[in-house]
Order: sequence, then C-alpha cells, then structure tokens
Amino acid sequence: MAIYVLKRIGLAMMLVWLVATLIFMILHAVPGDPAELLLSQGGVAPDPAQVEELREQLGLNLPLLTQYWNYLSGVLQGDLGSSLQDGHAVAEEIWLRLPRTLELIGAAALLSLLIGLPTGILAARRVNTLLDRVLSVTASVFLSIPVFVVGTLSVLIFSQQLRIVPAGGYTPPSKDLMGHLVLLAMPAGTIAVGLAAVVFRTTRNAMLEILGRDFVRAAHAKGVKEKRIVVHHVLRNALIPIVTVFALQIGTLLGGTVLVEYVFNWPGLSGYLVRSVEARDYPEVVGIVLVISILFVLLNLAVDLLYAALDPRVRYAR
Amino acid sequence: MRISIPKDIRLPLALVGGIFLITLLVPFLPLENPVQMLMGSRLAPPSLENPLGRDEYGRDVLSRILWGARTSLSVAFAAALVAGIAGTFLGLIGGYFRGVAELLTVRASEVILCLPPLLLALLVVTLLGPGAGTLIISLGILYTPGYARVVYAETLSVRALDYVAAQETLGTHPARILLRTVLPNVMSPLIVQFSLTVASAMVLESGLSFLGLGVVPPEPSWGLMIRSARSTMEQAPLLLVWPCLALSGAVIMLNILCDKLRDVLDPRSKSSPSGASTRRRVAARLLPGLVGDDEASVIQIKGLTLQIAGLKEQPVVRDVSFSVRPGETVALVGESGSGKTLTGLALLGLLPPAVKVTSGSVEFTRRDGTKVDLLSLPDTERRKLRGDEISMIFQDPSGSLNPVHRVGDQVAEAMLVHRDMSSAAAGERAVELLAKVGLPDPERRARSYPHELSGGQKQRAMIASAISNKPKLLIADEPTTALDVTIQAQILELLDGLRRESSQMGMIFVTHNLAVVAEIADRVCIMYAGEIVEEGPVGEVFAAPKHPYTRALLASVPEGGAKRLSAIPGSVPTPDKFPAGCRFASRCERASPECKIGILSLQAVGDQRVSRCLKWKEVA
Repeated sequence: MAIYVLKRIGLAMMLVWLVATLIFMILHAVPGDPAELLLSQGGVAPDPAQVEELREQLGLNLPLLTQYWNYLSGVLQGDLGSSLQDGHAVAEEIWLRLPRTLELIGAAALLSLLIGLPTGILAARRVNTLLDRVLSVTASVFLSIPVFVVGTLSVLIFSQQLRIVPAGGYTPPSKDLMGHLVLLAMPAGTIAVGLAAVVFRTTRNAMLEILGRDFVRAAHAKGVKEKRIVVHHVLRNALIPIVTVFALQIGTLLGGTVLVEYVFNWPGLSGYLVRSVEARDYPEVVGIVLVISILFVLLNLAVDLLYAALDPRVRYAR
Repeated sequence: MRISIPKDIRLPLALVGGIFLITLLVPFLPLENPVQMLMGSRLAPPSLENPLGRDEYGRDVLSRILWGARTSLSVAFAAALVAGIAGTFLGLIGGYFRGVAELLTVRASEVILCLPPLLLALLVVTLLGPGAGTLIISLGILYTPGYARVVYAETLSVRALDYVAAQETLGTHPARILLRTVLPNVMSPLIVQFSLTVASAMVLESGLSFLGLGVVPPEPSWGLMIRSARSTMEQAPLLLVWPCLALSGAVIMLNILCDKLRDVLDPRSKSSPSGASTRRRVAARLLPGLVGDDEASVIQIKGLTLQIAGLKEQPVVRDVSFSVRPGETVALVGESGSGKTLTGLALLGLLPPAVKVTSGSVEFTRRDGTKVDLLSLPDTERRKLRGDEISMIFQDPSGSLNPVHRVGDQVAEAMLVHRDMSSAAAGERAVELLAKVGLPDPERRARSYPHELSGGQKQRAMIASAISNKPKLLIADEPTTALDVTIQAQILELLDGLRRESSQMGMIFVTHNLAVVAEIADRVCIMYAGEIVEEGPVGEVFAAPKHPYTRALLASVPEGGAKRLSAIPGSVPTPDKFPAGCRFASRCERASPECKIGILSLQAVGDQRVSRCLKWKEVA
C-alpha cells in the first residue's frame, strides 16, 4: 500500500514537470517570435523597438536552455512572473482566486454526486420501468447540452424571467455567508447538471452489472437485508467504476469551470484566464494554465489514491 | 457492394445526415445574407420573412442559425479529421512497431492529456489569436491522443492475429500490412471515435466562440450568437433560445448516434446492459417421489414445479418431491441444466426473476420444531431463515466472495445479521470457524481479501460462513466443481465431517458427478429434463439402477472395472421441447409407443425406491 502511494505521488510529480515542460515547449514551438505575435494587432507589424523591449522583459533573448531553467526554477519558487498589463505578480493574483475556483468545483462535484448516485441506484433497482426510462432519457439530454448553454438558459429562466436569484456575481463568505451561497448555487448547479448525468449513467450501469454477480446471490443466501446488500455489497463495488468515470470527467469539469465562471461573473481563476487570453498576457496565461494543470494532476492523484482505498486488488497489483 | 445499415442506427443516422445536408445546401437556400446588417430592424420580432426574427444588428436569425451550423460542423469535422489522420498514423506506428516507436508516438501524444482540454485550446488561441483556423489546429491537437490510443489498442490485437503474422513471415512490407490489413480492421472503432470527436469538438468550438476566443465575428456561429444574445436578454429572450436549441439539439443527435454506433460496431462496450437479458437459465428437471409424509424430516419438498416466464407450455422443473432427514445427505444428480440448481435456489427463495414457482410445497422444520412452508412464507420471514437455519454453498467460490471486503468480515456477516452479537465477537468467531474448516493461519486469513486466497481456501471460507449459525439444512450446489481434483476430495471430506459432527443437520448436495455422490450421499435423486427419474439409497441405486437414464449415466462414468465408456446418444431436450410421456424416451433404446404419451408418474420399485420408467423391470 505504502509503495503504491509513493509510486503514485512520484508519478504525479513527474507529470507536473512534464506539464510545465509541455507548456514551455508549446510557447517556443509555435512558429515565429512570441513577442512579435503578442504585439501584432490586426496584421499590423509591430514597432521593432517595442518587440525588442518585450523580448528583453520576457527573457526571450537568453539561450533556450537558460530560459527553460529560469522558468522551472521560477515555478519551483512560486514565481510566475508579472502581468504585462499592470505588472502585478501573477502568483499573487492566482493565489487570491484559486480558493474561489476550488469552492465552485467542490460544490459542483458534491452536488452531482448527491443527484447522480441516488437516482442511479433507484434506476438500477427499478430497471426497465417507466421511472428508469424517464431518468435515463433525462440524463442523456443533460449529458449533451453544453455547460454554457445550461448556464445561459438558467440565467434567462431563473434570473431574468422568474427573478429568483441574481444573474451572477460574488460576495465573500466572510461578509455575507447566505448571500455567498445564493450566488454559488447557480454556477455550481450548472456544472453539476452534466456531471450528475454522467454519475447517474455510470452508477446505474455498474449497479446492474454487479447485481448479477454471484456474491450478491451469496449475500442473499446469508439472509442479509436488501438494503445492506445494495449499499454494502453492490454500491461498494460499483463505486470503483464510478470513481474511474468521475476521474475521466475532471478535465471536462475544469474546462466547464472556465465557461461557467465567465457566464456568472464568478471571480475565480478561469474568468481571470479568459481576460488574460483576450489581452494575450503571456505570463498570466502560462501561470494560470500551469496552476490549473497542476490542480488537474493533483485531483487525478487523489482519485488514484481513492481508487486504492476502494479496491483492495489495486494495492497489490501495481 | 451493398451495405446494410443496422436498424438501430437508421433514425439517428438520418437525423445527423439531415443536419449535414442542410449545412451543405445553405448557400443555395433562399436566405438573407447572414452578416448583412439592417440597423432599422434591430431585434425585430418573428415575421413571415424572418421566422425567427432579427438580432441586435438587424440580421436574420434563421439565416444565421443555418450558416452557424455550417461553421460549427465544418470546424468540428475538420478538427476531427485532422486529429483522426494524425492519431491513426501515430497509433498504427506505435502499435505495430512497439518499443521506441510506441514511446515516440502514442506515449508522447498522451502528454497532451495532462492538460485539461479547454485550457490547451486557450493556450493555442493566446499564441495564434482567435479564428476558425486556430480552432481546427488546437482541437486537432487535442483529439489526436484519443485516436492514437484507440488505434494503438486495436493494432495490437489485430497484429496478434495469425494471418497478420503469416504476412510478416512472408516478408510483406510493413506499410502494406498496415494499410491493407490492419487499417481496415481498426475501422469500426475509428468510426465510433470519429463521431464522438465531432460531437465533442462542436461543444468545445461553441464554448470557445462563446468566450469570444473562437470564431471571429461577424461570421455566424452558435456560440457567438449565444454570446451576443446575452446582452439583449432583457428585450429579446428568444434570441438566446434559438441558438441554444440548435446547438443542444445537434449535440444530442450526434451523441445518440455515437451511443448506437458503439453498440453496433463495438460489442465490447455496450452503453447499457439490457435488463431484459436477465440470466435465463435453462432449467432443471426433477420429479419427486411417492414418499409419504415424513414427520422426522428437516425439509420435505412436495410437487415443486417451476416455470420460466414466457415458456408457458412446459415447466422447467416438474413435480419434484423428496425429503431430507436430520444427519442425512441427499444428492441431486443431473446433467447441467437439468434443474437441480434451480430446485436448490427455489428452496431459499433465490430464483432468478424469470423463474416462478407454480405449484408445490416445501415444508421446513425449524429449530424450535415448528413447521413452515417455505414457498408461502413472506419474503422477510424467509430472509430470516436464510443463512441462519438454511444456508447454501455455491459452485464458484471466487465469484461468491465480495472482492472488496475482508474474508473474516464476510464470514462474520451471517452471524451479525442473525445474532445479537458485537462485531468484535463475530470477528473472533469467524477466526474460529476459519480454523475449523481447515484454513492455516486463520487470523491472517480473516484479514485477507478474497484475491489473496486460493480457490480451495475461498470455498473453505464460504463453508465457514455457511455453517456459522449452525444451520439445520445445508444446500451445497456443486461445491467442488470449480476446484482442482485434489482440493475437491479435501472439501468433500470437510463437508462430510461437518455433517457427521452435527446429527441435526441435513444436507442437499447438488452435483453432476456420480463419483462424488457415492462418496458423500446417503440417498440420491437422479434428475432428467426437470423431473426426478429415480430415487433411492445410493448403494442400491448404483448397484441396480431401475431407470435407463441412471443406467446410462453409470455406464458413462470412468471406473476402474469398466471396459469401455458409453456415451448417451442424443442430447437433453431444452425446456421448450420437452416431449409428452417419458422425457428420456427419444434417447432410450427400450422406448416403445406407450412411453411417449401422457404424464408418467413415479412407481415404487422397491423399499424406499422409485422410478419413472414403465419398463423398470426390464432395466434391471
């Protein structure tokens, strides 16, 4: 078990390094001079003096390996450079917004499990009934609607037409906890809808598969109560594929956050990212993409560890 | 060549095809120019000329929706194609040459998967600036590893096929093998992957355009239309609804097509297991005896008849009757599917949903001496008996243990369910039981998970669990079939020892193995096609069978003295083809016309012996 955990952590650290390198490579593999690319607007060639200044500022005149070294050691020390627009330290800006994004992701994940698991179990136990079909079709629909469409239509319905909740914004929880949660509800719910559909589907199919296993019959033969069989024997095993599929959704979840933060003016990491991309603020974009990617790797690490906790076979097999 | 399209995908294929057709025909339709502004008619409501109204610049919304479909689809299509070509190439090379090539192609491309998809696209947009071309490049990069993985996996399996190996041996050039042999074989998963990618790329494209980082205005795109309609939501909410509907509808249709395509082309990944295919076992055949009421029995089964829903004519198990006394072992013997297992499951109330009890009674004598009919007992009451007074051991010990729980906990479970004891006490008792069934180092075994035990050890654990509450009746369903021969003997010894130890416990031993019967059973019920054909004390039945089927079965057992083995000609009829009269008649050399009419009943053929043969005197 300890070996497995150490291996996974080692692998995650390697992935972080790979991601950092990949981002560096993308920046330098793009044909042309990044400084020139960044300064050119609407096809007008930029002022060479300006380009030179930017190259100097970004350290683009140094040898490639030195640049790579500076970049990596900067990342290790938590220095992600400063914004081209206002000179603020990128790391500080990210540090300020990261908790808000994490809160949104956490709330959405929790909500999707709260919706997806019980409905999935229900559908599996009533398989091929009307209820099962209605739930399955609903899930297929929600699975297909892009997250920003759900968000935009939610604003249209709940804020603009029904006027139940504000269309977006943010209140710090320290100032007004209730107001904070009200504003959190719609963006978190928007992300959760699609995720819940995935959880539902996986739960239903995994439960159905496991309900047919011999050990379920053996548990019945022991006289175990139906409820305990469903939770202790079936769901406990179904959690393994559910966690796997959930892990595959993490990337989509992080992408969805970008769009949802934008729709609801949630001042998290991703809204910041969109503005940086619009302004083509190179250090900002690199910093944010790097941080979110590390988050991605860490979440996957968490899933791997959870996986080992759930499935005793994994701990020994690898 | 005529291609037949499976029925399941015709409708979604037609719908998606329709969308494609529209995007192709858009330039020829009588539509307004989608970018032509008409500031005088800003936000005009729907009218005859503009069925969906006009947007904030006075442009025709219907025209923009249709042209937007063209943009979205062509970007998604182009990206999927770029990724498809690149990924297929990498996957083929990596899967065919393995080694360093695999590292440089498939594994290298997978690094892309370390970045969340939307972020990678944003990174590329930052560098190249927004626009359709950038979108195609970034989405293309994004989806390459997906294809590479799929093609890689398929290439590996195709490469292992004999005819590919044969080509290699003949010295065919790898390029030729890859293009002519491997590529056509990976086509099915490629098609599925392609449709998945188009759907996903459409969602990403519209998302990026929605952020203002994808398609550049004024070009129409659904994402862009949603973006701009947000600002006029107050005045014209419908402007927001149309592109949302178009986008969601298109994605839903594509996704349905993907699901169906996957079901049709890739049978390994059924998107949902169909509930209708609930295991339908071809059932048993058993028939009971003329045995009268047996007051001393642990369990007395009378006229048990089981039917598969949907097979109205013939019951799969008919009129099975027998009884088990305390301390007695009764063997139920028959070929696979003769109904012996169904009979065992029926006693516990664990029949598969498709099988129903249609008549009969099962009288069980409880520990306190009261008698209950197991078949008419409410479910909750029957559950209280299961694992307590009646327990069962199954054929496959590996499947019967839950892989995620410790062995000791699973042995203790039956005690925790039925007894008022602490889990610590149950745990200790479980260790004692594991020791009793002969597991070495029981403390450690109790803490182990099932995958750490051998097959024989697992079956011992299952037996420990079954006897944990000192049952009055133990049903063992082929408990040794899945085990090695040497282990089989040990398990039989264990079961026999347990039975002798407790004079109160009766045992029903279900098996197809006559040698095992001779070793363990006191009496035997021979089943054929859902009926008991002969019943009696083991020694007498084996020495002088009174039914041709028993006789034939005995003749087919390899025993020391036998000069040759005789197989029984023909095969067991399936439940829907059970004949009238004697069900064995078609395979019996003594069969005459009167054997094939009516329903044969069991006849007494000696003390405590019955046979369902009209000519039992001749058999002897």
